Amino acid sequence: MTSDFIIIGLYLILMFVAGLFFSRNIKNTADYFLAARSAPWFWIMGAIWATNIGFLHGYLAHGGAAYEWGLIQANFEWFQGPFGYIMSGLFFIAFYWRAGVYTVPHFLERRYGSAISLIYNFAWIVIFVVTIAAEFYLGGLFLKNLLHIPFWPTVLVLAAVVGTYTLLGGLGAAIMMEFVQFIIMMLGTMPLLFILLHLVGGFAGIKEVLIGQWGVSPQYFTVLPDIHHPYGPGPWIVLGQCLVVTLGWCAGHQSMVQRNLGARSLYDAKFGYVVASIPKTLGAFLYIVPMIAAPIIFAGNGIFVERADASYGKLILNLLPSGMLGLFIAGLLSAGLSSISSVLNSTSTMIVKDIYERHLVKGRSDHHYFVAGRAATFAVIALSLLLVPVVLKVYLIMWLEQTLLAMVLGPFMGVLMLAIFWRRANAAGSLAGFITGGFFAILLGQAFGVNIFFEISWWSFVVTSIVTVAVTWLTAKPRPEQLDGLTWESDFRAKLGQVLKERAAENGVKVAAVQRANIRRPPWYLNIKYWATAILLSQIVLLLFFG
Amino acid sequence: MNSRKIIPFLLILSFLFFAHAVLSQERFNDVRQQMADHLTAVKTWLRANDREGAKKRFDEAQKVWETDVKRMITEGVKTNDQFQEYFDRMTEVDEHFAALAQELESGEAPKVESRVNAIIWAISHHPRGFKVPPPRYTMWDWVFGLSIGIGFCVFAIVFGLHLRRSYYRRYQKQGKEPPKG
Repeated sequence: MTSDFIIIGLYLILMFVAGLFFSRNIKNTADYFLAARSAPWFWIMGAIWATNIGFLHGYLAHGGAAYEWGLIQANFEWFQGPFGYIMSGLFFIAFYWRAGVYTVPHFLERRYGSAISLIYNFAWIVIFVVTIAAEFYLGGLFLKNLLHIPFWPTVLVLAAVVGTYTLLGGLGAAIMMEFVQFIIMMLGTMPLLFILLHLVGGFAGIKEVLIGQWGVSPQYFTVLPDIHHPYGPGPWIVLGQCLVVTLGWCAGHQSMVQRNLGARSLYDAKFGYVVASIPKTLGAFLYIVPMIAAPIIFAGNGIFVERADASYGKLILNLLPSGMLGLFIAGLLSAGLSSISSVLNSTSTMIVKDIYERHLVKGRSDHHYFVAGRAATFAVIALSLLLVPVVLKVYLIMWLEQTLLAMVLGPFMGVLMLAIFWRRANAAGSLAGFITGGFFAILLGQAFGVNIFFEISWWSFVVTSIVTVAVTWLTAKPRPEQLDGLTWESDFRAKLGQVLKERAAENGVKVAAVQRANIRRPPWYLNIKYWATAILLSQIVLLLFFG
Repeated sequence: MNSRKIIPFLLILSFLFFAHAVLSQERFNDVRQQMADHLTAVKTWLRANDREGAKKRFDEAQKVWETDVKRMITEGVKTNDQFQEYFDRMTEVDEHFAALAQELESGEAPKVESRVNAIIWAISHHPRGFKVPPPRYTMWDWVFGLSIGIGFCVFAIVFGLHLRRSYYRRYQKQGKEPPKG
């Protein structure tokens, strides 16, 4: 155990020092919020996955949900996630990138005006603060269970480490740290799968014990279950989760999008997003498949599990030898810290760029907004820590977060799709649609008792789209200049030079070589479409094998 | 007291309020953990051939079960359905305890180990997915599922072709090539 403490202590010190090192060149808002737009595709790939996979959306809560409901949880990793990454990489990111925006609400503001942008902004800030609180809670609970150290001091140490490098270094430090953490996560946590499969006789052995001997429902081993499943009816997973929630998450989650906006070129942004679906797919083998085997280990060895959220920690504590446990915990802490830092940075970006700079204090110097960004980061950490006790009261944290998301992502996908693909869509229509869709989602959940979040998100998406189209037809057309560079039919090539000049002006000399920004075809082995096709085909193979 | 002082005061007060609620909720987990720890110690003592030590820890585990865990389950199930699974397994735990007492007397270590494991598993949280009914597909389910699948494919093809046509129509109008990559 002492060696584990030493490894974890060294890891936290390393993260702290590396974060300070990476933050030394941060001087203006473009550096702080968009990492000087200098990240290559492999940084983007690592950062996106590390952002996506934390304590909450990965090891602890996804692992806990996999323990609770079975292989169905792998649908997040095996077809929805890669589908969302690839579609966002191929289509949506290009629109944000070419529009030269800092945030998703900024894109909505340019297309539809400030009202919808502000609503979207506030909704996401609430979700983000809850997310950070949930990450702190899960991290604290995990270390408390594992190492028997007190909850609150642990949470405060985590907050101090991640807060320091995010506060000082902004997106640049966050992305570089996330890439390092991505490697530590992969290497540190993969051995668990092989140890477990060896113990239980492979995937067939797990099925033999659970279905053959314990009489467990075969749906515990189904990725896409029937429509009567209480947690995830198959058709609703495809309709609501895959086409609305996951796509909306990948195209509308500021932390995910912001990593791409920090890319050095559109190619790097798109390719980084597409190939991030490879680690996303592998993620199921890190925290979903092991948790299907966990009940056998718990029952056979007398390991007490108080609730699903704690099951992953209990599993590794009782299975991994000393030394390896410390490395594993370092991998898990990487997951948590990277997610917290990215959400933290995104929240401060949205607060400063979309609310403070545009609506509250206009026309100040870049340095003023740069300092405001750091102040916002600090405030978000403090608020999240205050919310940790509230999050503690919620059983299965995934439920809370996904309910909030279902109420935002359905309406968001409705207005985003129409924003890009329908030039006629206007501000009045989208605002009416967004608000109606959001209320409809709340109504479905509260008045009609629908508790499957992706069913809620699908219907709120449908209602938003219908209301937006109806109100748009009844109101005036948007002016052509409001659509320029924001819709599918925009002439992006004609605007490319202008966009690059705007970026160069924002970044000082760092992206000043506009004349060299010719579009070149990448070699065949780096062709985005080939990779996207291969990854999507691999998802079909996985679904056929695991059902 | 001015507003500058009131706000931090209220924040601390709300923090303490929530922290108190959390502590009482965590109590149920803590007493079960305590019971599991005693039971694990039974296995450890027996492996070391100390039957008296094992019996002592067995008594302590049973005491926690009878005085704390059982009471919390029977009270909790009235207001919170999360206690239902433990309520359903209470008889099972009682039976295991009775059997374990006899097995400890006879000192059969392998039997004791598996009995202890069974008790710990019985007071643990079991996956809800275990009890999901087996898959069943009605005619309506097939119609719904196939409509979604085929409908999505048709929509994707038609919408994709529409976008492609509208995009190239616009470029051709302006006499420009479509961008590559």
